[in-house]
Amino acid sequence: MELEEKISILAESAKYDASCSSSGSGRARRGFTGAAQMSGVCHSWTADGRCVSLLKILMTNSCIYDCAYCVNRRSNDIPRAMLTPDELAGLAFEFYKRNYIEGLFLSSGVIISPDHTMELMLRTVKKLRHELRFAGYIHMKIIPGASRALIDQAGLWADRVSVNIELPSETSLRLLAPGKSRETVMRPMRYLAENIAEARAGRGAAHPAQPYAPAGQSTQLIIGASPESDLTIMKLSEALYDKLGLKRVYYSAFIPTAKDLRLPAIAEPPLLREHRLYQADWLLRFYGFRADELLNEKHPSLDPVFDPKTAWALNNLHFFPLEVNTAQYEELLRTPGIGVTSARRIIRARRTAGLKLEELKKLGVVMKRAAYFVTADGKYAGSKRGNAEDIRVKLLGHEDPNGQLELFSEKQLIKNSLAETVTGQL
Amino acid sequence: MRTYIYDKTFKGFLSAAALALKTAGPALITSDRGFEADLFTELTETETDPAGAAGLFRRIGARGSSASRRHIWRAFLSEAEGAETALFEYIRLILKKGPAADDMLADDRVKRVHDLSGKTAGEAERFKGFARFKELADKTLYARIEPGHNILPLIAPHFAARLGPFNWVLHDAGRCTAALHTGGKLSYAAVDAVNIRETDNEISLQKLWKQFFKAVAIQERLNPKLQRQFVPLKYRKNLTEFDP
Repeated sequence: MELEEKISILAESAKYDASCSSSGSGRARRGFTGAAQMSGVCHSWTADGRCVSLLKILMTNSCIYDCAYCVNRRSNDIPRAMLTPDELAGLAFEFYKRNYIEGLFLSSGVIISPDHTMELMLRTVKKLRHELRFAGYIHMKIIPGASRALIDQAGLWADRVSVNIELPSETSLRLLAPGKSRETVMRPMRYLAENIAEARAGRGAAHPAQPYAPAGQSTQLIIGASPESDLTIMKLSEALYDKLGLKRVYYSAFIPTAKDLRLPAIAEPPLLREHRLYQADWLLRFYGFRADELLNEKHPSLDPVFDPKTAWALNNLHFFPLEVNTAQYEELLRTPGIGVTSARRIIRARRTAGLKLEELKKLGVVMKRAAYFVTADGKYAGSKRGNAEDIRVKLLGHEDPNGQLELFSEKQLIKNSLAETVTGQL
Repeated sequence: MRTYIYDKTFKGFLSAAALALKTAGPALITSDRGFEADLFTELTETETDPAGAAGLFRRIGARGSSASRRHIWRAFLSEAEGAETALFEYIRLILKKGPAADDMLADDRVKRVHDLSGKTAGEAERFKGFARFKELADKTLYARIEPGHNILPLIAPHFAARLGPFNWVLHDAGRCTAALHTGGKLSYAAVDAVNIRETDNEISLQKLWKQFFKAVAIQERLNPKLQRQFVPLKYRKNLTEFDP
C-alpha cells in the first residue's frame, strides 16, 4: 500500500479523538530541531472548523477490541493499514521542518496486546527524540491495560499523555466496550497522575527530577452515545480535575459510524450539547464554578437556549447587580458578558479612575448581556430592574405581540454561540 | 498642525517624536512624503538621529515600563494609517503619567495603541502557524508570507529557535523583505521577487500533507463559515493545504 493511502486511512481513523492542543510545554534545546511554545500554536483549521496543530494519526487502525462506538472496531469491515516507527517518525519530522505542525499526536488500535502496541509506539517516540533530535511537541496515547513499566517510560519522551475514558459510566463502558473495564482505564490514569505530580514536586530542587509529561494528562468523553446526564458528565470531569489533576477533559459529540442496537439511532451528532458542555467545563476551570452550582438532580441538563453562566445568573438574580467599580474579580467573572479578559481589564482600568457605563464596552464587556447585571457608579443600564422572566425575554431579543418566545432551532443557537467559540470568553 | 515627516524606520519615527515633544500642542507624524500640506501645516522633514531615538526609547522605558515599549514597537509595526500620530499622543501620556497610563484602558489614546499592538501581535501569532516552508534542492527551507502588518521581526526569532540547525528564508513578499537564517545567525535583507524550483521530494511531501489535511475533516460536522473565521481567505494563498 502506498504511503499516501496509508496516511489517508490512518489519519481518518484518528480524527474522532478531539484533543488538538499543543500547549503546556515550553522547551528549546540547542542542537535539536524544534521548540515547544507554552501557549501552543494552531497551524491550520479543518473543513469542520477544528484546529490542526499536530500530526494526529494512528500507528495502526487494526484492533483486537470491538467497542461499539468506534469506527476501528474489529467487526467493522474497513481497510486496515499500519505505519512503521521509522515511517511515523520520519513523517512527523518532515512535516515539522515545513512548519505544518507543532509535533506528533500518536494513538493506535491495539494489535496483539496493549504492551506490544505501547512498545511500538515508544519506539517511534524515542526515535524522534534521540535519533532525529526532535524537541517539539509529542502527545502520546496510553493504551488501557498497558503495564506500569511502559507507562513510566511514556512520560519521559512525551509532553502530554492521555487515556480516553470515552464512556462516562461503568455501566455504559461494560455495555459498549466489552474488552475494557473501568479498572483498565482508570489504573493507567492514576499512574500517570502520580508520576506527573512527583516530577512537578521534584522541579526546582537541587537535583531536579527528570520532567514527566510536562503538559499533563487529558482524556475524552463521548457525548450522546450513552444515557448519562450533563450532571453526571460534569461531576466526572470535576472529579478528574480535582483528584487526578487532569489538564483537560475533551467532549466529543457521538457520530454514528455504523448500525448497532446498543447505540442510539440519532440523526445528527449532538453538537449544541457538546458546545454547552465545553462552556460548563470552562466555568469549572477558569471561572471558579463548582459542578453542583450549575446542575443538580432536579435540573440535570444544561440549558440549550442560554450559555451555562447566563443560565446560572438568571437563577441567582439575588447576586446581582454588581457595581463594577467595587466588585471582586471573582464576582465580576460570574457576570454574563464579562469574560476573564474583560474582568482583568475592569480591575486594571478602575485603579486610575472610576468607570462609567459607556466605558465598559471599550473594555470588551458584552453590554448586550451584562447590562442587566451591573451598575457603574450606581447607574443601571436597563430602564427598570426586571425579574428573571423579563430579563430572559430581553436577552433573547425576540418577543412577539402575544408575549410568546420564539423557539430557536438548534442551528440558530449554535450560530449565535459561534462568536463565543472564537474568543473563548464566557 | 505641526507635521513631521520621517524615513519609515523605527529610529526615524522616534527621532521625529523626540523633536515633536519639544513643543507643546498636537502634532502629526507621517512617513508619507507626498503628504498634502494645507495653508496651516507646518511641515518639518526630520533627520534620523540614532542617539536621540535611543534616548527617547530609554526614557519611555524608565518613565513607563517595558510593556509600554512593547506596545509602541508592535503598534508601529502595524503600519496602520495614523499609527505614528496615535503613538505620539501615547508617548506623551506615558511621559506625563508614568506606568499608570497603561492602566487607563478606556482612554482613547491608550486604547488605540493597545489595539494596534494587539492586532500586530495577533497576526504574528497566526503566522507562527501559517508560515509554510518548502525544502529546496540545497536543503534550505524557504517560506513565503504576505502579512497585513510588518510582523517579520516578531516571528523570525521564533523560527530561529525551532529551526536552529537549518538554513532558512522567511520572505515577506508584499514588503520585499526577508529574514535570513544561515550558519545559526539571523539577519534581514531586502529581497525582490523570488523564483524557486520545487524538488520531486518536496512535491511528494506536500501531497502527503494535503492528503492528511483532507482526511482529518469530520464530514458530519462540516462548517466552512467557522473555518473561514479561523483561516481568512486572504491568507490561503500561501498555505499548502489550500492549494488545489
